[in-house]
Amino acid sequence: MRKNRIGILAVQYVVMTLIALLVIFPVYWMIMSSFRTHEEIFKYSTLSWQLFFPVKWTLVNYKEIFMDDSKPFGRYMLNTLLVAVIVTFLGLIVNSLAAFAFAKLRFPFKKTLIVIFLSSLVIPYEVIMIPQYLLIGDLHWMNDYKALIVPQIVWVFGIFMLIQFFADIPRDILDAAKIDGAGWLRIYSKIVLQTAVPALITLGLMTFLNQWDSFLWPLVVINEEKKQVIQVAISSFQSLRNISWGKVLAATTISSVPILGVFLLLQKYYVQGITMSGVKG
Amino acid sequence: MRGYKSGIYDKQEMRAAFLFILPALLLLILFIFYPMARALLISFQNYNLISANTSPAGLANYRQLFEDSSFLESLGHSFYFAAVVIPLQTVIALGLALLVRRVFRGVGLFRTVYFLPVVVSFAIASTIFKLIYNKDYGMLNVLLRGLGLPAWDFLSNPDISMIGIIILCIWKAMGFFMIVFLAGLNNIPDSLYEAAHVDGAGAVQQFFKVTLPLLKRTTAFVIIITTMDALKIFVPIYITTSGGPAQSTSTVVFYIYETAFKQMNMGYASAAAFVLFAIVLVISVIQLRLFRTDVEY
Repeated sequence: MRKNRIGILAVQYVVMTLIALLVIFPVYWMIMSSFRTHEEIFKYSTLSWQLFFPVKWTLVNYKEIFMDDSKPFGRYMLNTLLVAVIVTFLGLIVNSLAAFAFAKLRFPFKKTLIVIFLSSLVIPYEVIMIPQYLLIGDLHWMNDYKALIVPQIVWVFGIFMLIQFFADIPRDILDAAKIDGAGWLRIYSKIVLQTAVPALITLGLMTFLNQWDSFLWPLVVINEEKKQVIQVAISSFQSLRNISWGKVLAATTISSVPILGVFLLLQKYYVQGITMSGVKG
Repeated sequence: MRGYKSGIYDKQEMRAAFLFILPALLLLILFIFYPMARALLISFQNYNLISANTSPAGLANYRQLFEDSSFLESLGHSFYFAAVVIPLQTVIALGLALLVRRVFRGVGLFRTVYFLPVVVSFAIASTIFKLIYNKDYGMLNVLLRGLGLPAWDFLSNPDISMIGIIILCIWKAMGFFMIVFLAGLNNIPDSLYEAAHVDGAGAVQQFFKVTLPLLKRTTAFVIIITTMDALKIFVPIYITTSGGPAQSTSTVVFYIYETAFKQMNMGYASAAAFVLFAIVLVISVIQLRLFRTDVEY
């Protein structure tokens, strides 16, 4: 019986390791190939260790993508970072303010407003994308970062996630602060925000990642080469004829590895966000 | 409780609440509700940005859609994609969750690795897979050739092109739903398994009699979300195949994108988007009914 147990566990480890190798392989291959020369990537096409490991390590791909003035890669990264940071910051303020009011304050038409907010979750992005595009045209925001930032600030999913967190804050604490003469804005910033730091990290992380990965919307509203964001820039990179794989993979590596690093550091919060949406939602 | 009970609200609190909600509400109206209404309006118009003329079209856009073979085919491709991805991805995600469920040495590492593709952006994942799928130099076919197996040309063989997209999408999303299943599994009290064990149920029986029924709500969530995502697949199509070869991977959203932003035919594209919206809504409602559950624990 005991021997059997150990056998099963061993099989489980082997299976899990094989799956892990399969899952990690595309990412591993991307990183490794980004350090190969153009010739080397196409040189080895039979099974050998050289297929999986760079023979001559080189940084030339990275140097080239950052030096190329016609495709300013550093600029794309900064553009994306700027947009993602601003959306995350403004989104956290706007969404947490609304969530606080819904979770803790008493006011008329609360139920109606909650239903209005909830109903927006049914509307698929694909339907409103076209009129949003026309609206951006009417506002003269084409090729403007405002087009990438302002429509993305409110995130109803985020509001409802925060409501669940805020609901646990006892009303007594808020009332006590009220009696001490604090205004609601002060209570929000001094008490609510400080007790909800983990929730805000979770939401901030999810917002930031969404923005960093955003593709379709910038593809539509940003046409000016220099203002483009990273995901769209990468896709235009590899649609060019005769582009070296090394450069494409250096671009994908440099734009995803920092994100993977941040995720590894904060994965607890990220996973928590998914769990909240899945179990309670 | 004074103000609440008697129906009189504290004035200051009320004002604060409305002010706090106002920014979110204004943004919601301007960028979600107003576009929704306008989309409906446009879908009943001839609205082309190139010819720059707008005229009422009545139901013409919708009628035309149902005779438009490339739209109907794109619908078919989306359904095919969803029909494969929903069961396959759900089973794989559940399998992974079961594998890494118990806490033992190294389990955290495995969870992290399985989850990693979720954090890789869709655009980047698609780019990597496009290179891996390359017929001559791609890693996939180099490996297959090395093992003496026939090559798979996902990028230019219309018969299997969608399978390439499916593999990519499952690789990218399975870790997300694994986490959802893990949360669901952790909610099942151990006492139930102990009871089942005492009653002499084996591992397989425990899975079908305890785990699966109690995971019904989680599974419903996973399937409904997967369905919505699958029917709206776009980025990997745009990057890896651009709808080809021979239109074999042209999905509905890809069709909408091309109609709206390549042909600039906003009215027709909006009508197509509404048809998709209606389909997704109906399917979601049916799924919610089917999964309505009385299991409590």
